[in-house]
Amino acid sequence: MGKSQKTRELWSPFRYALRITRPPSRGFRRTGHASLLTGLLFLLAWAAPAMAAELSAPHDVRVIDTPSDSGGGLTILWSKADYDGPDVRYQILMGEGAEKKMVAEFPANSHYVRDAKFPWWTRPAPRGFHQYDIKTGKGIELKDGTAYAVSVAVRRGDERAEAPAVQVVPEPNWVNWNQMNNLLLVLLFGAVVFGSIRAAKRREIFLRRIPGLDAVDEAIGRATELGKPILYLTGAGDMSEPATIAAAVILGRVAKRVAAYETDLMVPHRDPIVMAVCQEITKQSYLEAAKPDAFKEDSNFFITTDQFSYTAAVDGIMLRRKPAANFFMGSYFAESLLLTETGASTGAIQIAGTDSDHQLPFFVTTCDYTLIGEELYAASAYLSREPVQVGTLRGQDMGKGFILAVLALGTVLATVGVLFGTDLPLIILDLFKDLK
Amino acid sequence: MIFLRRQLPLLITFVMGLVFAAQYYVPHPASEQLLTTVNKWIQIIGGFALVLGVTSLFHLHAVKIRRKEAGWGYSFVLYAGLLGTIAVGLWANGKEAVNGALTAFGWMYSYMMVPLQGTMFAILAFFIASAAYRSFRARSREAAVLLVAAVIVMMGRVPLGEYLVPISGDFSQWILNVLNTSVRRAILIGISLGAVALSLKIIFGIERAYLGGGKE
Amino acid sequence: MTFAERMLHIDRRIIFLVIGVCTLVPLLYPVGLAIKVSPEVRSVHDHIESLPEGSVFLLSLDFDPASKPELYPQAVALLRHAFQKNLRVIGMTLWVTGAGMADQVITQMARDLGKENGKDYVFLGWSPGVGSLIITMGQDLYKAFPSDYYNQPTKELAVLKGVQNLRDVNYVVSLAAGTAGIETWYVFGKDKYKFELGGGCTGVIAPGLYPLLRSGQINGLIGGLRGAAEYEVLIGKKGRAVAGMDAQSATHFAIIVLVILCNVFYLSIRASRGKADPR
Repeated sequence: MGKSQKTRELWSPFRYALRITRPPSRGFRRTGHASLLTGLLFLLAWAAPAMAAELSAPHDVRVIDTPSDSGGGLTILWSKADYDGPDVRYQILMGEGAEKKMVAEFPANSHYVRDAKFPWWTRPAPRGFHQYDIKTGKGIELKDGTAYAVSVAVRRGDERAEAPAVQVVPEPNWVNWNQMNNLLLVLLFGAVVFGSIRAAKRREIFLRRIPGLDAVDEAIGRATELGKPILYLTGAGDMSEPATIAAAVILGRVAKRVAAYETDLMVPHRDPIVMAVCQEITKQSYLEAAKPDAFKEDSNFFITTDQFSYTAAVDGIMLRRKPAANFFMGSYFAESLLLTETGASTGAIQIAGTDSDHQLPFFVTTCDYTLIGEELYAASAYLSREPVQVGTLRGQDMGKGFILAVLALGTVLATVGVLFGTDLPLIILDLFKDLK
Repeated sequence: MIFLRRQLPLLITFVMGLVFAAQYYVPHPASEQLLTTVNKWIQIIGGFALVLGVTSLFHLHAVKIRRKEAGWGYSFVLYAGLLGTIAVGLWANGKEAVNGALTAFGWMYSYMMVPLQGTMFAILAFFIASAAYRSFRARSREAAVLLVAAVIVMMGRVPLGEYLVPISGDFSQWILNVLNTSVRRAILIGISLGAVALSLKIIFGIERAYLGGGKE
Repeated sequence: MTFAERMLHIDRRIIFLVIGVCTLVPLLYPVGLAIKVSPEVRSVHDHIESLPEGSVFLLSLDFDPASKPELYPQAVALLRHAFQKNLRVIGMTLWVTGAGMADQVITQMARDLGKENGKDYVFLGWSPGVGSLIITMGQDLYKAFPSDYYNQPTKELAVLKGVQNLRDVNYVVSLAAGTAGIETWYVFGKDKYKFELGGGCTGVIAPGLYPLLRSGQINGLIGGLRGAAEYEVLIGKKGRAVAGMDAQSATHFAIIVLVILCNVFYLSIRASRGKADPR
């Protein structure tokens, strides 16, 4: 093969593509020119934005007081531009004249409204707009009620263009509109609970068996037969915790049955306020059981607030007094196993109820019965069968059912959104987000 | 009297409950200031309540000493410890160290409180072993699954386990990150709903057992 | 009583003795097995590693002496790393019973690494309030702590220059043994003031914090003595945590063997009862 032949072979794919060297037919000439023209147009269209995108000042610049905040914040919004890219930078400027200073600079293909966590009902601008928040801190101080001049500039190499400054006054807001979905859901749940309570007053509602609570009577009876006391603990929390409140309420029910059998009741406390409350509850229970004389003032007593000192004291009580039944209700921490294992070594029947999920394994392994999480809150309903308590339980169950449905629906919607690249599912999904 | 014991507390609970439920949705600094102020009130009340608790403690042990009940000698030890710590703490002005040197209060903290608390916490290791030996039995299918998961996690969390069975580390991470997290979230959801329901009942005066006293 | 039944009702003190031996022997004769680093511990390390010199790092030592074996090594490792990176360290605690110990660890590490109080680090100590304290710190640090643990006015300290509130803190790590702890720092701190938050905790509460880790509420989690050992490996300075891992390995295996044995005895009793009474 000669050299020119070889060259032709080498260039043949290119020649075929460009049809340069093949003698054109009439039809081909038109096709060939058309291909070239198309290629050139394509090249121009691709390069057109870069070539034609003159650097102009940012458009539609709006500066507002950051909505739904505690003050000291400004939000700057402006529309995206054709020249947005990694080689172009936006600058945020504050002040006027000689006092003007740059507070931030970032690539032009960043900081969009869609990156900020706004639900659809409070979004200040379309998702494609740029957004930057200036907050007090890190060298910047924004005083509420003071006007500030803010502007946006764009820079590409030596080129620069700046939008006119906008005056704005940051103020604290009284309502956090981002959390209105949270408020709505709480109100809805409250309505469901109150509705369930009303329904419970009209008809009986089924409650499934909670074995731990069925055993309460058995435990009290056993203690009475053996002539040994009952130990009841209300946990490590104070009266602001739901678990402690639930423990105090259950104490009332237990104390009423203990009063009827005239068994000794010991309730050592870690918190003085809880002690005072439980004292009243116990006294009232003895009154309701028509055994006021059997009530002992020191059945509820304070030991200490310190975790392990309290544990050591209660362990000592268990080993010396050897109660026949131990109740561990409320919230617990590391002391749980120390208490329950010591109680198990004395041969007592042990019933625990806690919302401290990290201690559940220890209670489950060492106690005869364990009430897990909300079973503790359900306990007072279960023991008393009062319509108010039972209705609340029903309302909680309905709330859980609603959450399950939302989880399933949310998963489907989120998947659809990702698969089809659409933001429409966010209309529903945002309703269940926790947004600040 | 009924007003002070029943109606007034219910009114206070109702008003404060609504105010602080609303406070969560108000970002204004005045709302945060209100929260901070009320938290200070709680601390002050807690201080008074501590007096109540200590009085109860003193009274209980005084009765024990007077009646010479079993273990009454330890009540003397309690009095000595309580009063001694208060005296030493006041003398050292509440400081554990001054210019790098331990005060008497600091000595009590470092050489009595720290070892005693550490000892109590250390007992847990022994108790976990005895509780596990007594209770970790495959009584049912679910218990057997729990047992296997526990063994895998115990192996995967220590270097020896990962050395002997390399996959145990990754598997235990998966159990923690996937199974454990999902179950914890479920328990948390249930507990949170229960807490919200209980709080609503207390705020609106439906649940009143915490006040003591009888039903109206 | 058969052998299996006797073994099932064995005296607890024998089990205690086994655990005691398994803890003591590896401490006296360490083996030094390799420790694999988990992603959650690496996240905390990498974040501190990424902070430029002079960044503000707040370490809240929210534990009491009971949790010292697990959390003290974490504090030592974190402080060593922060001081080596020349970060400005702010120490404090939300637990009044932990103030003395927190002061001890910060002072000790600062002395070892040649850092000066007031210039390179400050220990603010304890102040009542927990949630409201964090809120106050988020608004004005000097209002929450007008003076440090040694009664030096905080406004005059060089280490706190430019730090007005929690928004000016680059990274907060809470080493927590319970409540108040990591969740408190998130609810009252990060949620409002938007700083980055990491956590360290005892082994028992670590699984409960995974939901916070997975949802990004905390950017990393150092769990228990194992987490402390991993961090020591990452900073290249093995200490008490690594030394304790051999003992932990032995103890875990002792418990595994005990559990397997108890199941063997239990199942053999069930099988023999089944044979005796086929109904």
